[in-house]
Amino acid sequence: MTIFSLLIKVSLRNLSLYRLRTGMIGGLIGFGAWLAIIGMSLLRDIETSMRTSITESIAGDLQVYSGKAKDELALFGGGFMGRADIGALDDFSVVQKVALNHPNVAAFIPLGLEMAMIGRGNEMDDLVTSLRASLASGDQGLIAERLEQIRFQIEQLKNEQNIKKQVVVDQAEVDKNLEEIQKSLSPGFLQHLDEERLQFLEIKIAPLSGEKAPIYLAYFATDMELYKQNFSKFKVLEGEELPPGQRGLMLGRKVREEQLKNKVARLFDQLHKRVIMGGAKIAKDDEARRDSQDLVRQFDQIMSYLDRPEAEALSQQLATFGISGQTGDLDLIHKLTSQVKSFLEVTDENLPVRYQWFYSNIAPKIKLYELSPGDTVVLRSYTKSGYIKSIPVKVYGVFGFDGLENAALAGGLSLLDLVTFRELYGQMTDASREELKAMREKVKVREISRSQAEDALFGGSSPVETAKQDAVNSETSPEEPLRAAPVLAASFGSEEVKKGLALSSALILKDFSKLQETAAELKEQFKQAQLDLRVVDWQKAAGTVGQFVNIVRGVLLFAIFIIFLVALVIINNSIVVSTFHRIKEIGTMRAIGAQRSFVLGMILIESGVSGLIGASLGSLVSWLMLVACQRWGIAAGNDFLTFLFSGPRLYPKIYWDILLVAPVAIGLIATIASLYAARFAANIAPIEAMQERE
Amino acid sequence: MDEAVRLDQVAKIYPLGQTEVVALRNVSLTIRSGEFTTIAGPSGCGKSTLLNLIGCMDQPTSGEVYIETKPISTLKDRELTRLRLEKLGFIFQSFNLIPVLSVEQNIEFPLLIQGRHSAQERKKRVQKLIEEVDLVAQSHQRSHELSGGQRQRVAIARALVTSPRLVLADEPTANLDSATGTRIISLMKDINKHHGTTFIFSTHGPQVMEHASRIIRLKDGYVVS
Repeated sequence: MTIFSLLIKVSLRNLSLYRLRTGMIGGLIGFGAWLAIIGMSLLRDIETSMRTSITESIAGDLQVYSGKAKDELALFGGGFMGRADIGALDDFSVVQKVALNHPNVAAFIPLGLEMAMIGRGNEMDDLVTSLRASLASGDQGLIAERLEQIRFQIEQLKNEQNIKKQVVVDQAEVDKNLEEIQKSLSPGFLQHLDEERLQFLEIKIAPLSGEKAPIYLAYFATDMELYKQNFSKFKVLEGEELPPGQRGLMLGRKVREEQLKNKVARLFDQLHKRVIMGGAKIAKDDEARRDSQDLVRQFDQIMSYLDRPEAEALSQQLATFGISGQTGDLDLIHKLTSQVKSFLEVTDENLPVRYQWFYSNIAPKIKLYELSPGDTVVLRSYTKSGYIKSIPVKVYGVFGFDGLENAALAGGLSLLDLVTFRELYGQMTDASREELKAMREKVKVREISRSQAEDALFGGSSPVETAKQDAVNSETSPEEPLRAAPVLAASFGSEEVKKGLALSSALILKDFSKLQETAAELKEQFKQAQLDLRVVDWQKAAGTVGQFVNIVRGVLLFAIFIIFLVALVIINNSIVVSTFHRIKEIGTMRAIGAQRSFVLGMILIESGVSGLIGASLGSLVSWLMLVACQRWGIAAGNDFLTFLFSGPRLYPKIYWDILLVAPVAIGLIATIASLYAARFAANIAPIEAMQERE
Repeated sequence: MDEAVRLDQVAKIYPLGQTEVVALRNVSLTIRSGEFTTIAGPSGCGKSTLLNLIGCMDQPTSGEVYIETKPISTLKDRELTRLRLEKLGFIFQSFNLIPVLSVEQNIEFPLLIQGRHSAQERKKRVQKLIEEVDLVAQSHQRSHELSGGQRQRVAIARALVTSPRLVLADEPTANLDSATGTRIISLMKDINKHHGTTFIFSTHGPQVMEHASRIIRLKDGYVVS
């Protein structure tokens, strides 16, 4: 037996003698260890999945942006149109050259993250637009088909207005609407369409079928070639890839599913996820109940896409399916409306069948997505100087990220070509310069420099001459109305995306572990090149979302700190109390020659051992829990967790460093925490051995 | 004979609320090596205080205690502890064994704290003392399995294991029946005779005093004789 084993033996005896205390301290420490291990492990999982979904979608490892930025770069932060002002890189190729000089920089990809509005007409607007197109083509069959669709829609509007009449106070308004509907349905109106009648449909009738809120589309613009080379997770899911050198838009899968999908289909999807996949009950689950109630109200999201033959067919199919709707002598619209409404009344039992039935029978008849590959869409955006710029672009395809199917961040963005972005941003591109030149030709505007502006306005020469010039201008205007038809070419030179404006740039590193050093070195390099730039890591670049993990970690550490504070008080208190019971024993040890340090060591070993046992148990429990979670996954109970987990379930990894270091560190902290109590015990006088009190 | 302990004008005053209790009043005495001395007197006469001062567990209010001619008032806690470990042995009224340890381990304890003996040396010393105090059969038992007399024999062995020059015993027989008490005193006497160890013990039992080679009588803090 050595002195150390003696210490251990005495300490262990005391631990078993004061079992309650040992259990309490051990339990507390164990709980702390459990919290630390589980928390740290999950945080690391979340951080990893977040990092992958941020860095491998658009952010890269580092982001470079202008030093003149008023706000900090927040790739996934920002609100709607009020995006952060992060300045701009007037010509990114200069920055690129400097950055690529750094040995650890593998690639430099220019980016422009912005928002654009997609204005949306309602279905009636779309129909009139396609009617105009068919009129222009002169295809009589097509014209007849469009006219039938329009008539059917107007009949639906008439029904709606009649129902509205029974409930609204402003009868005059409804009467006026009905009168206009009646006019459009009057015999011959649709047969002999002229411009005036078409405009009547557009201005008076179409607005009756409701306005749709514009969609705000968050997008990133980039050099397609460079982007594809460096972000291998990018994957085309539908349609085709945006070809380099072409104007065009690719929709993010998540954007399309969540913002551009038919409302009925979307509600069915959500219910499918929660009720069929997630096992929730409509009656008990708030979200599922809300969705199911909303579903019934969205019947017109089916109705307004149907023409008469489709409506007849659907009514038949629904009757065969077992939904005959209201009985009685009803016209098609009334009958189908009641059928659709009762079809949309879903319960836990009928949902699986109706979900299937909707996708196989109704979905093919309606427009499932507002935008699909092949469509052209007008993007509108406020330029830097404040006016609205509208540019039509073709939708090439839908994309996603391999393995990041559920990552909310990356999936929320669409992709635009760099040149169109620059125009929306308000920058002159080669194409827009051409366009401007063409417009100037038309309206005969002279290029006037600032120094000559005064002369030009008030006339430097004789007033007669000016009047004459005015006359020339006014002569041309009425005859030839200003037509700012876009001269924008669909493609642009590949040179244009190799330099010029970008808002920020993604840097891919060769060695990710040197992230911070590389960032610092790049800053220095830029400074030497006299470039005023900021370099931030992916986490900072992601904005509040990227900082989230740090915030959660802070909260977790604080919670652990509090637990240890409580543990510290309890440990000290219980050791002091138990020391009172052992005054004579400790006094005896001191009397027969044990130094204070011996007593100190004895108490520290006691708390150290109980701490270590508790922490090991906590560690063991954590390990078992992690193993179980690895097998079954942790379900994300709500959207926030789904976002954090980057998916519906999190399958945590087991980090041995955390599992092993945490209990040792915690046991050590417990030991150090009992220093006060140990000093108290060490100060027991040897004379206490002589006291006769039992 | 050498001087083992010398007290020079030692006084000990304990504060008690507003007043003071004088436990020892200017006690001067010398105990030589190899003496088998008992300190006798009624309860509260200062016996324990005297032993505590000699045992370096307490400091006098005035005067000086010399252990082998060395004054102890100049020593720090560490040095006093070292002195107790190396030169002194203690036997307590209520035995004060360490409950978790066996007979052997209790006896070995001071050697382990000294930390300079080999395992073999420790075992040899412990075995010899176990035989001497006649506890071979009980050597692996814990203290709560032993009788009072057996416990006190363990305590004696523990006090002697470091071969101290001076053994202090505070009422070693108080918690024992008289027959056992007598046997304990005889054992101590034997050791005193064979090893030359100086013993100072306090008692108020007359039959114990018979064995003493010298009796110091205390009364109200004075040495009476």
